[in-house]
Amino acid sequence: MNRNNFIPHLALALVLILVAAFAGQLRKWQKQWRSSISIVPSASKTRQPVDEKEILREDFKRGEADILVRFRPGVTEAAIKQITARLNDEVEDQIEAVSGLESIDDLDDDVDAAVAEYRALPEVEYAEKNYQIELDHAGGGFKHLHPEDPRFVDQWALANDGQNGGKEGADINAMRAWSETTGSDEVVVAVLDSGVDYNHEDLANNIWSRRANLDPYEDADLGVVDDEHGYNAVDNDGDPFDENGHGTHCAGIIGAEGGNSIGVTGVNWKVRIMPLKFMNAGGFGTTKDAIEAINYAIARKRDGVNVRVINASWGSTQRSRALEDVIRKANDEGILFVAASGNSSTNNDRQPHYPSSYNLPNVVSVAALDRNDQLAQFSNYGVRSVHIAAPGKDILSTWLGNDYEEHSGTSMATPVVAGVAALILSQKPNLAVEELRERLLKAVDPVPALKGKIQSGGRIDAARAVGIE
Amino acid sequence: MALTKQDAIEHARKDLAKRLNIDVDEIHESVEDAEFPDMALGAATRGEMSGQMITSGWRIRLSAGRQNFEYRANKNQVRLYNYKGKNYTVD
Repeated sequence: MNRNNFIPHLALALVLILVAAFAGQLRKWQKQWRSSISIVPSASKTRQPVDEKEILREDFKRGEADILVRFRPGVTEAAIKQITARLNDEVEDQIEAVSGLESIDDLDDDVDAAVAEYRALPEVEYAEKNYQIELDHAGGGFKHLHPEDPRFVDQWALANDGQNGGKEGADINAMRAWSETTGSDEVVVAVLDSGVDYNHEDLANNIWSRRANLDPYEDADLGVVDDEHGYNAVDNDGDPFDENGHGTHCAGIIGAEGGNSIGVTGVNWKVRIMPLKFMNAGGFGTTKDAIEAINYAIARKRDGVNVRVINASWGSTQRSRALEDVIRKANDEGILFVAASGNSSTNNDRQPHYPSSYNLPNVVSVAALDRNDQLAQFSNYGVRSVHIAAPGKDILSTWLGNDYEEHSGTSMATPVVAGVAALILSQKPNLAVEELRERLLKAVDPVPALKGKIQSGGRIDAARAVGIE
Repeated sequence: MALTKQDAIEHARKDLAKRLNIDVDEIHESVEDAEFPDMALGAATRGEMSGQMITSGWRIRLSAGRQNFEYRANKNQVRLYNYKGKNYTVD
């Protein structure tokens, strides 16, 4: 090297090193800032006045690691590296607490395509976009998560900002709850109904599937049933596809996939919906078929499937001892049974409605509210026998054939509560059924219109249910 | 196949004529749109459970002589409501 050029070259090299070091520090500071705001600030945990809601709104944006991928058991680290390299990606970090879970950088910068590529691989259990929460204001306040789903604005039950003449804040406080948990695919909620459209674009990723090492269901009378996604007690087979729409609607309220830029979001962004079909295309079915389907859920629980909640958006005024017995058996297996209080505008303390009126330790009876925090005109009530209320009028959710519809009924309020139960279980998977029920009934916002009408006197509050006061 | 309002009325008239053993021409009708409390149209039969969703349909009031009868229907079904204290599904 020419001696005359040495000093300028040395100076240039020093400058470059300093610039690189400063950039690295900047990146570190940036990461620290982002991680610091992903924790609920302790400064303000009380609900903010309505007019502050707007300035405290948070957006849900993509983070630095682009994708979270959970590989199936047995897929080695070497294999994971090969897969990511083949897809022009890089493993950013291994999430040790969850076996097989990796955060991955997508070097092509097409995250949606990358997620789809991973989901298509047999080695992958699930793949999802990584999101990051960013405060769009300076200062403190509690967190909200705002999903990208385009129809979320119409889901007043989850976030009521007064749309369509509703009362601001008359919702289940879902956005705040989601800052703690958006659900877990380890929690299975059985939707005991008219089946579920398990191919629906907004449900497919949250549908339960029988794992490869679990034998098909075997019944002494029916023989072997190939229960890939659940059970059909109407036709006694393993295909619980919905021919009515009611079950698909309930399933979407519990767990339409959240944050996927499609349709609506469920109370749980991720969960496992187990479709159990006992009602036909008309939306009605027999007590015996309901019992058969509950029996299936219990059998699968005993086989190790984590069925913790059954949603029962149906009923009649006829009491069945056999139905009561099988729901009691579900209690023995640690399964919560959330049931519609009925739509006759009557008092269940005087005219019971079953199964919601069974006095069993795992039964939660649900009344319906409208968007103004009034007991829905059709809803049954009962200060002794109806336990809790939830939004149930003009509820938008999934419908047959990738469609979305608004419907009303205690049918729609029930899956809101079942969904919140699943959110709780995503945090506390080992909670006993009586503790789960108690936690639900304590997690209410008092509503004046419900005083003296239902036992808890309030509307379910998802944020309280997951521990945010 | 989904029933139309006219299909439902015809099903109801034929059912009543058979029950009363009279000619369908002897039956008078009035029909109104209605919302029922559940998916059994508020007319569940014994041992039947139904989705608790408000369901749109038609209330079909038929009369023959001095007797009045109520049928309830939607695109999926026709039911006879409270006939001698019981509800019936109409095939």
